[in-house]
Amino acid sequence: MVAEFAVKPAASQFTPLLEEDVAINQKPCAGAAQDRPSDCPVQPASADPAANQLKTTRRDFLRAGGMLSLSSLMGTAALMTQSDNANAAVEWGEHFQKNYRLMTTEEKNEARLRLERRYSDEYGKKVSVDTTEAQPGMLMGYALNIRKCIGCRRCVHACVAENNQSRGPRPGEKIEWIQVLRMERGKFEQEKMNHGYPEGLGIQVGGNAYTPAGQVLEGQYHYNPKAVPEADATYMPIACMQCEKPPCVKVCPVRTTYREGDGPVVIDYNWCIGCKMCMNACPYWARRFNLTTPVLPKEEMNPVTHYLGNRPRMRGVVEKCHWCLQRTRHNRYPACVEVCPVGARKFGNLLDPESEVSKILERKNVFRLKAELNTFPKFFYFYD
Amino acid sequence: MRKLASLSVILALCGGAFYAVSAAEKAAEPAKEAAAAKTPLECFESRKGASELTQRDVQPGWPNVKCSPTTGAALWYGDPYDGTVPMGKMPGLDIAEGKAVVKPRTEKLALMPMCGVSCHNGVGPAFNPPKLPKDKKPAPVPTMEAMVPDLANFQHGRGRIWCMDCHHTTQRNMLVDHFGDPVSFDQPQLLCGKCHGDKLRDWRDGIHGKRIGEFVSTGKKRWFTCTECHNPHNVQDGARNKGFIQVQPEPSPQLPRGMANADHEKLHPIPH
Repeated sequence: MVAEFAVKPAASQFTPLLEEDVAINQKPCAGAAQDRPSDCPVQPASADPAANQLKTTRRDFLRAGGMLSLSSLMGTAALMTQSDNANAAVEWGEHFQKNYRLMTTEEKNEARLRLERRYSDEYGKKVSVDTTEAQPGMLMGYALNIRKCIGCRRCVHACVAENNQSRGPRPGEKIEWIQVLRMERGKFEQEKMNHGYPEGLGIQVGGNAYTPAGQVLEGQYHYNPKAVPEADATYMPIACMQCEKPPCVKVCPVRTTYREGDGPVVIDYNWCIGCKMCMNACPYWARRFNLTTPVLPKEEMNPVTHYLGNRPRMRGVVEKCHWCLQRTRHNRYPACVEVCPVGARKFGNLLDPESEVSKILERKNVFRLKAELNTFPKFFYFYD
Repeated sequence: MRKLASLSVILALCGGAFYAVSAAEKAAEPAKEAAAAKTPLECFESRKGASELTQRDVQPGWPNVKCSPTTGAALWYGDPYDGTVPMGKMPGLDIAEGKAVVKPRTEKLALMPMCGVSCHNGVGPAFNPPKLPKDKKPAPVPTMEAMVPDLANFQHGRGRIWCMDCHHTTQRNMLVDHFGDPVSFDQPQLLCGKCHGDKLRDWRDGIHGKRIGEFVSTGKKRWFTCTECHNPHNVQDGARNKGFIQVQPEPSPQLPRGMANADHEKLHPIPH
């Protein structure tokens, strides 16, 4: 209330000026705006009357050009629909589809059929594109036992087998969503008892006999020993944390990435413009960019796909883990959970007190990665 | 302007006709199919030697399992219930019939049929069984050590337990519980839970160990039993003192363009 009172006098001061403005700009063109735009400068574009004079001819020119381009566009449409190539006709439809969240059920079905036709044609087998919605009463959650992880990277490759990532040999053609981080073990040491006392300052900050290995997310991604786990290492897999408050969603300029009702943060690849803002925003380095046209051999392609999940992507879009939406929407475990040989990965419904993840949250010591950023991940690390 | 537009439409239609012709020519070219990459058709699941799966197509383009070409491990499950049988009753666990399945271990253990008939069937009067242990005092059995190499380096219990604590005295195809009753090799959890109660409780609730299939708590799951992941004769895997044996890792990620190796990762920025 106080704020309103404070603002009102100021507003009234400016009111006459505003009215004047409106009178100048709008009164003459109340009825004729549609027919003769040249008489009606809706926006005071330029103070120079000569510019306004020019504008009329420019407008006509633009309109003519627009007509021409529209007709040529129609020509392209005629070209594409006439060809017997299903691929071309489908892509035409794809160009003009809406953001997935704004589509009606019919439009989603059309998009699904279009994609199924195109993928089946492209990969030489029957490809299904699922559009199953989030089910009520479901909030997916993930837990990972970092004491158990042995760093074998089977989850990484299970993910690639499931989710149709690019897997070419050249740089930038191989995309993996899960990263396994090898970290050195920290330890207390006698000879470091007096560390942590900065010289010259004279301020005692305490002893630091502990070697702080693994406090930051710096480690080795490219480790490749004969056998894992190694005695002096711990392993920490990271992927998309499916945050409750995802920074990537906040920054997306076209709102193509968003959080689904049952938890996962997904991407409508068709609407992605490839600006990579989300990749910069993500504090977990979870997002990958298709720099090249994805290399996906026909025989390795997984034909069971979801629209928001593992359907084959195109060049220039961002992708990331979505907790195997094509599986989890049908109650199946994600691929990485099923393949983990030590059973470190757990998945379940956070709203179901009987689920594995709920039991872990209830019983084990749990932490979230970079919890101080208030992203509220639904991916929990725990240990026995 | 209309004239222009109609002209362009005509042009486009002509172009369309041409495009259709060229597309037909393209289709006529012999399609070169890339040779299918050779992948091993048999792969091990959790640990080597415990259980194997053979790759086959459940439906076209959808195999039951995908095997790793580098390590031979199972990398992806299409059909999680391949070759499973219903899990038996388990105390403290209330699961609807058919919702919990396990992979039978009985047929996998090669010595099993022989053990029960040749020496340890428990019915022979004088020779068969040759010498039943009278008490629970450990005694080395050279025959058994020769047959099962793991026994020479037996670590389980660090010398506080021996064969007869887990194996049935007269029914060698069975394990034994606290009351001396036989327990199937397919249900080792009934035996292991005797000592490892905390792990049994976590396993029962899905926290310890591994389950695949449907994740909802009422769904059908394949449970991995204790011995599918742990070798009971060598649980500690030597000096590592861990429950899971060392395995070869899958290949590391691709190096970025222009990076020759990943040695920079080994230089830890935090001074030790």
